[in-house]
Amino acid sequence: MPRATPDLLPGTLDLLILRTLQAEALHGWAISERIQQISEDVLRINQGSLYPALHRLEHQHWVEAEWAVSELGRRAKYYRLTAAGRRQLAVETREWQRMSHAIGRVMKLA
Amino acid sequence: MMVRDWLLRARALLSPRRAERDLNDELSFHLDRETQKLIEQGRSPEDARAMAQARFGSTTVAADECRDQRGTATVDNTIRDLTYAVRTIARAPLASFTIVATVGLGLGLVTVLFSVLNIFLFRVDHVPDINEMFAVERPRDANDEWQQFTRPQFDAMMRETSVFAGMYMELGDVDSRVDGRMMAITLLGGNAFQVLGVRAAMGRTLLASDDDRSAPQPVVVLSDKGWERRFGRDPNVVGRQIIVNGAPHEVVGVMPASFRGLNVGAPDLWAPLSSLAEFRPIHRGREDQAGIAIVGRLKPGLSAAAARAQLDAWDAQRSGATTRRDARIVLTPRRGTVPQPLEAMVLFAPLFFAFGLILMIGCANVANLLLARGVSRQREIGIRLSLGASRPRIVRQLLTESLLLALAAAAVGFVVSRVAIEGTLAAVLPTIPPDLGDISIMGFKADWRVGVFLIAGALVSTIFFALMPALHATRIDPVRTMRGELIKDAKPGRARTVLISLQVAASALLLICSAVFLRSALASATVDPGMRTADTVIVEIVNEPKRAAMIQSLASDPRIAMMAATWPDLLSLPRAAIVETPALKTTAAYKMVGPEYFAVLDIPIVRGRTFADHERAAPVVVLSETMARTLFPKSDAIGQVMQMEADPDSPTRRDDEPMLSSRSFTVVGISRDVAGFRITDTNDPGIFVPASTETPKTSVIVRVNGDPELARQHLLERLTIIDPNMGQILTMRTMARMERYFLNLAFWTTLVLGTLALTLTVSGLFSVLSYLVEQRTREIGVRMALGATSRHVTRLVLSQTAKPVGFGLFAGTGLAFALAILLIATPTAGVIGEVVHVTDPLAYAASIILIVAVCLLAAAVPAMRASRLDPMTTLRQE
Repeated sequence: MPRATPDLLPGTLDLLILRTLQAEALHGWAISERIQQISEDVLRINQGSLYPALHRLEHQHWVEAEWAVSELGRRAKYYRLTAAGRRQLAVETREWQRMSHAIGRVMKLA
Repeated sequence: MMVRDWLLRARALLSPRRAERDLNDELSFHLDRETQKLIEQGRSPEDARAMAQARFGSTTVAADECRDQRGTATVDNTIRDLTYAVRTIARAPLASFTIVATVGLGLGLVTVLFSVLNIFLFRVDHVPDINEMFAVERPRDANDEWQQFTRPQFDAMMRETSVFAGMYMELGDVDSRVDGRMMAITLLGGNAFQVLGVRAAMGRTLLASDDDRSAPQPVVVLSDKGWERRFGRDPNVVGRQIIVNGAPHEVVGVMPASFRGLNVGAPDLWAPLSSLAEFRPIHRGREDQAGIAIVGRLKPGLSAAAARAQLDAWDAQRSGATTRRDARIVLTPRRGTVPQPLEAMVLFAPLFFAFGLILMIGCANVANLLLARGVSRQREIGIRLSLGASRPRIVRQLLTESLLLALAAAAVGFVVSRVAIEGTLAAVLPTIPPDLGDISIMGFKADWRVGVFLIAGALVSTIFFALMPALHATRIDPVRTMRGELIKDAKPGRARTVLISLQVAASALLLICSAVFLRSALASATVDPGMRTADTVIVEIVNEPKRAAMIQSLASDPRIAMMAATWPDLLSLPRAAIVETPALKTTAAYKMVGPEYFAVLDIPIVRGRTFADHERAAPVVVLSETMARTLFPKSDAIGQVMQMEADPDSPTRRDDEPMLSSRSFTVVGISRDVAGFRITDTNDPGIFVPASTETPKTSVIVRVNGDPELARQHLLERLTIIDPNMGQILTMRTMARMERYFLNLAFWTTLVLGTLALTLTVSGLFSVLSYLVEQRTREIGVRMALGATSRHVTRLVLSQTAKPVGFGLFAGTGLAFALAILLIATPTAGVIGEVVHVTDPLAYAASIILIVAVCLLAAAVPAMRASRLDPMTTLRQE
C-alpha cells in the first residue's frame, strides 16, 4: 500500500523542514503531512528520521520548540523558526537553487 | 545563545525524567495523530494503529537518535552504561572476583615499585617556592671527583654576586656517633632555615646566632626520622641534651616529616656549621678549608640559565685573578628528589619490566576469560545489536564494565602494595647484617601520586584486557544469534594462542632469571676468597690522635688473638705503583701490611718468608705467586731487587696516604694468590710492603676468639669510649656473605615473581583448555562416534597446548638469552659476569623443563575429560 518512498537527496531534509516552518509554527506530524501534501505525495519523510532532525535543528538553534494544545485537544510540541533559522534557510535556499539550476542545465544541454 | 544552550543541556541533565517524558509525548502524539488520520480515512482503529506504527518504524531507535542530538548523550549513556555494568557484574560475582583479584595483584606489584620510585623522583620537600632552590656546583673534574667550595669562596660569592635572594652553606654526610649510635648529620649555615622559609614542627629551627663558635651551648635540630630513631617520638624532646662526640648538645627543635633538607633521605639531625670541629676533628683549626656545598634561592623572576651565566662570569673573573683552570659553574635544582631522574629511571626500568610482566600475564588471563564470556554473551549482544544498538555503543558498554572492574582492582592493588611493602621490609630488614650499620629505611608512604598511578594503571590494563575481547564479542551476526545459534568460530582462537604464548614467554623469562640467580648464589657459597673470613674483623681508625690509645686497647684485649696493620683496608681499591725490574717496567697495585697480615688471614707463604718484626719500615716486599711470575719471569724472585714508586697519576691516589719508605725493595717472600671478594671488586694486589699499626691511615685487621659478631659489638663498646667518633668495624664474615646475600635477594624476588607468573599462566591455560573442551564437546562426540579413540582425542587437546606453549618457551628463552648477551656487552659486565652466570645452561634447562611439566599437567585434566566423553550422551544433548 505505501509506495516506496523516494530517497531524499542528502541534506535536503533540513531545508524542507526549515522551509515548511517559514510561515507558521507546526508540530512534527504536521510538518511531515505538509511536505507530503505540497509535494503531491512524492516526498514522504521517513518519520523515524524526522524527529532526530528536529532535535538537531533545535540544538543548533535554528528552530525553537514550545508545547501548546493541538487540534487533538492535547499538548504537542510546536517548532518555530528562529532568526538564525531564517538566515540558514536563506543560505540553504540559495544553495539549492544554484544546485538545481546547475543540474537542470546539465540535463538539458549535456 | 551559549546560555540557552547550556540551559537546554542542564535541563535534560538535571531532570532527565522530564526530558524523557517530553520525548515520549512527542513521539506518541505523532503516532496518535497518524492513527486519527487513518481512522478518518475509514479504517478500523486497530488497523489504523498498526499501520501508523509500521509507517513510523522503531520508536526506540528514533528516540535514541533524538537523545543523541541532545548533547547530553555522553553523560546519559555513561550513566546507563554504569548501571548496566553494575548489574552485569553482580550477575557473575565469581568471574568478577577473579578479574579484580588478578588485575589487582598485578597493579599492586607495579605500585610497590612506583611507591619507591615516587620518593626518589617526585616527592619534593615542603619548602615555599621550591623551584627557586638550586645548588651551586662545579662539574666533576678529570678524576671524576666533585670539586667543592670553601667558606671563603661562599663569602665572596655572597658579597660579589646578586643572583640569589638568599644562600647558605651545607656540609652533608657527617656521620657521627650520637649517644653511642651512628647517626647521619648535616651541618648548615645559621641562615639556612630562614632562606628555606620552613618552620619547625616543635621548638625552633637553627638561627644565625647558633652558627657562632662562641655560642654558649651548641645546639641541634632533629629531623622527623632522627626524632623517631633516637627519641621514639618523645613529645618532650625539646630542651634535652644529646652527647655528640663527647660534647653535650641541646635539642632545640624537631622538623616536620615533610622537610628532608632538600634531600631524598633526611639526615637524623642538623647542626650549625660552627660545630664542624666537634663532628669532624680533622677540620679543627682548618675550618675554612672544609669542602662545603652552596645552596641558594634564586631571585624571583631570574631564570636558572641567566643566574648560571652571571655566576660563571663571576667565577671566571675570580679564577683569572688566582689563575685556576676549568672555572665553570653548574646550577642543579634542589627539591629533595634525585638530581639525575633519568639515571634513576634507567635503574628502575628492568624492575618495572619484571613486575609489569605479572600485570601483563594477569591481563592476558582476564582477556581469555572475557573472550570466553563474550561467546556466552553472544545472545544478549545479538539481541541488543538487532534492537538497533550500534557496535561502538556495545563496545563502550563492555569497556565500561571492564573499567569498573579495573578500578575495583586498583583499590585491591593499593592494599596489595601496602602489604607487600610492609611485609618485605619486615622480612628483609632483620636479615641485613648488623655490622653494615644502623640502616634506616624510610617508609615508602603512599601519597596522591600513587593514587593517580593506580588509576592510570587501571585504565591501561582495561585497554589491555578488555578491548580485544569486546571487539571480538561484537563481531557477530545478530540474526543467527537470535535464532539461538552460538557462533563457535568467532576466531578468538588465534588471539588465545597469542595470549598463552605471551604468558609462557614471560614466565620463562622470570623463572630463568630466578634459576640463574639461585645457581649463582649456590656457586658463590662455595667460592673461596682465599683468606680467613670466619673470625676476622676489620677495625677502621679515622682519628689519628687517638690511634695509639686504640691500638693499645686492641692489643690488651683478651678477645683478640692476633692483629695486623693494613692499608688500604679490604674494602678500598689498592694503590697503584710504577714498578721496574730488570725484566720489565709496569704498573701494579700494592698494599702496605703488617708482618702478621699473612698469619691473621691464613695466607700461606709458599716460598721465602714474611716480614720480620723489625722490618716494619724496611725496604723489603712479599709478592704473590702471580706477581712474582710477572715481574721475574725467568729467574727466582726471592732475593731480587725491584724499583717501585707510587704512581702519581693513579685514580686511587690520596693526599694523605702513607708514603713508601724507599725506592728499591728486595723480595723476601712469595705468598699464595688471593681471590678476594668479587662483589667489592677489590682483588688483593700482588705486592705487599711492610707497615706497622703505628703507620698513620692504616686500618687494623684482627683475628678474634669466639663469635665475630659478639666480638664486633664488644670492640665497638670499648673503642667508642676512646674515640666516640670512630670509624666502622666490620666482620669479614659479613663481607664474604655479602655477595651471596644480594644474589639471594635477587633470587627470592625473581622466584616470587616467577612463581606468580607460572601460577597465573597455568590457571589461564587450564581454564582456556577446559573451556575449549566444553565448546567442542559435540565435535569430539562426533569424532568418537566416527571411530576416534580416546588417545586421538587426548592428542587433539594436547596439540592445542603445544603450539602456544612452544612459541612462548622459544620467545621467553630467546629473550632471556638476548638480555644476557646485552648485559655482558655493558661495561658493568666485568663484575656482574663473574658473579652471575647469565647464560648458565642448567638454569635454562631446569626452567624450561619445569614450565613444560606444569603446562602438561594443566592440559592433562581437560584432555582426560575430553577422552572420557561418552559419544552417545554428547550427541543426544543437542
